[in-house]
Parts: sequence; C-alpha cells; structure tokens
Amino acid sequence: MNIIADRARCEGHGLCEDTAPEIYELDDDAIVVLRYESVPPELERKAEAGARVCPVAALRVTS
Amino acid sequence: MVGAPTYDLDLFDEAGIIDPYGHYRAIRDLGPVVWLSPLGMPVVARYDDVRAVLADHETFVSGQGVLMNDIANDLTRGTTLASDHPEHDKLRQVVAHRLTPRALRSEKSAIEAKAEAIVQRVLDLDVIDGVTDIAHAMPMAVVPDFLGFPDDCRPHLLRWAKGATEAGAPVSERTAAAVAAATELGGYAHHLVESRGMPAGSLGADLIAAADRGEVRAEQCPALLLDYFGPSLETTISALGSALGLFARHPEQWDLLRADPTLVAGAFNEVVRLESPLRGFTRVAARDTTIGDVFVPGGTRLFVIFASANRDERRWERPDEFDITRENADHVGLGYGVHGCAGQGLARLEVGAVLTQLARVVTRIEPAGEPVRLINGLVRAYESLPLRLHAA
Repeated sequence: MNIIADRARCEGHGLCEDTAPEIYELDDDAIVVLRYESVPPELERKAEAGARVCPVAALRVTS
Repeated sequence: MVGAPTYDLDLFDEAGIIDPYGHYRAIRDLGPVVWLSPLGMPVVARYDDVRAVLADHETFVSGQGVLMNDIANDLTRGTTLASDHPEHDKLRQVVAHRLTPRALRSEKSAIEAKAEAIVQRVLDLDVIDGVTDIAHAMPMAVVPDFLGFPDDCRPHLLRWAKGATEAGAPVSERTAAAVAAATELGGYAHHLVESRGMPAGSLGADLIAAADRGEVRAEQCPALLLDYFGPSLETTISALGSALGLFARHPEQWDLLRADPTLVAGAFNEVVRLESPLRGFTRVAARDTTIGDVFVPGGTRLFVIFASANRDERRWERPDEFDITRENADHVGLGYGVHGCAGQGLARLEVGAVLTQLARVVTRIEPAGEPVRLINGLVRAYESLPLRLHAA
C-alpha cells in the first residue's frame, strides 16, 4: 500500500495525525508529512483510516 | 428523471424541517438517486454516494451555485463556495489561510477566555436558554471581531445570518424576507470593503490587503467577505445548541466527557454527524454521468444531503444513537473534498472551548422545558432550548 499526499491541498486540519500519528504528522508549517510512503502491512488499516478522515481529501491510499 | 424512484413527501415544509430523519431513511432505501417531487430535483442521500459526489468536484461542480434556488445562486456568484478550478483554488487560498488550525493557534487562548466568560455568566442564572445564552453568545463573541466587523453592525448580524441561510433554501413563504436580509448583508459587505474600515489584523483587512497585492480583484472582496461571514454564525450556533440538547438528553455521555476531556473532539464530530447544521448543498453534473445505476444527464442539479449520509445505516452502526466515543471523524457534516468547510478549525475551537469549560464546572445539563426548533429550510438548529445547569 502506498500513500499519496497532496501537500498543496493540505490545510493542516490535523485529523490524519489525530487518527494515525504512526503514519501522519504535521510539520512546522502544519502541512502533512508521511512517516511512510510505502506502508508496512501491520499499519495498513491505520493508513487507510488516517487518509479517510482528511476533510479536504488530500490523502489517498493505493493498494 | 428516467430510472430514479420518486419520493412525494416534503422535506422542506414545517413538519419536514422539524422531523426530517424518517424522510431521509425512506429516501435512502429507495435508491442512490431519488427524485424528490415537491422539490422538483433529484437528491443523493446515502453516505457512499454523497462522499463520492463531493469528492468528484470535476464532475459535480459548484460554479453554478450550490444553493437551492436561482436567486441565492445569483447572490453567491463569485464566492469560493460557488467556484470551480482554477478560480476556486486561488480564492480558497486567500480565504482559508487564516482559518487553518495553525493560523488559529494565536487565537486559541482568547477563544478559551471568551468561553470561560460565557460559562461563568450562565452559571449564575437559574433556567437559561441554551440558544440565546450560549449558542449565540460564543460565535458572536468570536466571529465579528475576527472578521473585523465594526460595532455598529452587531445588532443586525444574527438577522442577516439567518436570512442568508434561509435565502439558500428552496423557495417558501420565508424566502422574500430572507432575500431582503441577505441583500442588506450584501450591501453592507460592499460598504465595508469600500470604506476599508476593518481593523488591521482582521480577516476583512487581510482580504483588502490581498486585493491591494493583486492576488484577488477588488470587486471580488465583498463576495469573499461573505464567504467568511455567511456560514460562520448559523452553523456554529446550530452545533452549540445541538450539543447542549444532546448532552441534556444523554447525561451518561456528559459523564463520559467530564471523565475524559480528550473526548471533546469526538463529541464535536458526533454532534455534527447526528444533527448536521447544514442539511446539504447542491451540485450540478457537468457532463452525463451515473450515480449507482442511475443515469444523471449533464446539467442536472442534485441536492446532496449531508444530514442523511451522516445517519446512513449502510455506514454507521446504531446511526441514530449519540455516542461520543465512536469512530466518527469521517462524517460529511462539514462537506468533503476541495470544498470541505474551510472554517472547521474555528468551529472546532469555539465548540471545543465551550464544551471543555462546561465540562469542568457543570455536573449535569438538565432540560428545563420544551425546546423549539428553528424553522429554516437549510439549517438544522434550535430556536430555543430551556436548560438548567447544575454546577459542580
């Protein structure tokens, strides 16, 4: 599973980090930074959950 | 509309406004797209379809307006809300950058202080009105200053905000007065922009500065000011009132929040999920397309019902139950995708601050009389909510 983050669309609402801090964090500019682009199997559910809650649909997971 | 089932009951008469959820369920059960005959428009009511439509902003466009009648869509021309790429992205950047959680960090303690003052005042009262004493008070304490609106307009703001939202609903006996109020608001926005009187540091002043730098055209500023103001009062007022009403009817949920204040984020989500302040917006199909197995011809305007999606049993277990501990961050009460509510950071701060402060000092929120629903075609809210707060 890979994660694609649209950093231009990200506005720093932070729901991804709240849901899955193992994978998503906001940098000093409050824009999303991915701890993994290629997700280890044990974190796939969290990656999906974090992408899902982005209110502006800036995150996408691909299998 | 070929291939879509029909629903004949009215979502927008007084009964439909007061009690919409049975209608939404019946519509969801009929199919992915349902022709709502009293409205004369097809509607999308299931969670997966609502999210997919909102995500696909290239097929389901906002540039022809997202409201429910032509007058309102005319009045909102030029707003970020009613724009598409590429104009939309430019406008959104101008409007949203002061509303991100990071930008709001510097506002957080002031907002918390305002919540504390409002809560302190109501603790001294016996029976309060959750709407006028809390739900109105908090956004009115935050928004006009934040936007840079001067004192002289404050007595009119609530009336203008109510009018602006009702003006966006389907035409009814309330529309004429609503459009009159919305037009006053529009005129005032023009006046504010032309007089350049908004204090430095306010969002309004920021907009003027952006126009001075050539980032937006000066003629766009009134519409962008309305982008900020239009949704900022009625929606937050709705969420605060609904939160108080829900916690009053579910004291065990209030106990959970008091025991674990970190649940406030989930509480905000659950309130917006269960009693979504904005029932929905419209989109126009930019080309022939399908939703589920239903063919949607290009040019069709559809009503996308956030409030229905948020109770869809296909997505939510026990959908009508108020449960602040459930996984609910992916509700669509704030929209979704490129047009997802730009002001949600501020809404979270305001509602969070009030609930957090109340949870510190109030052991029980008790109903103290019959609540009265606001009769507004677009916004789900209380008009009046008698409560008694039991102090710790």
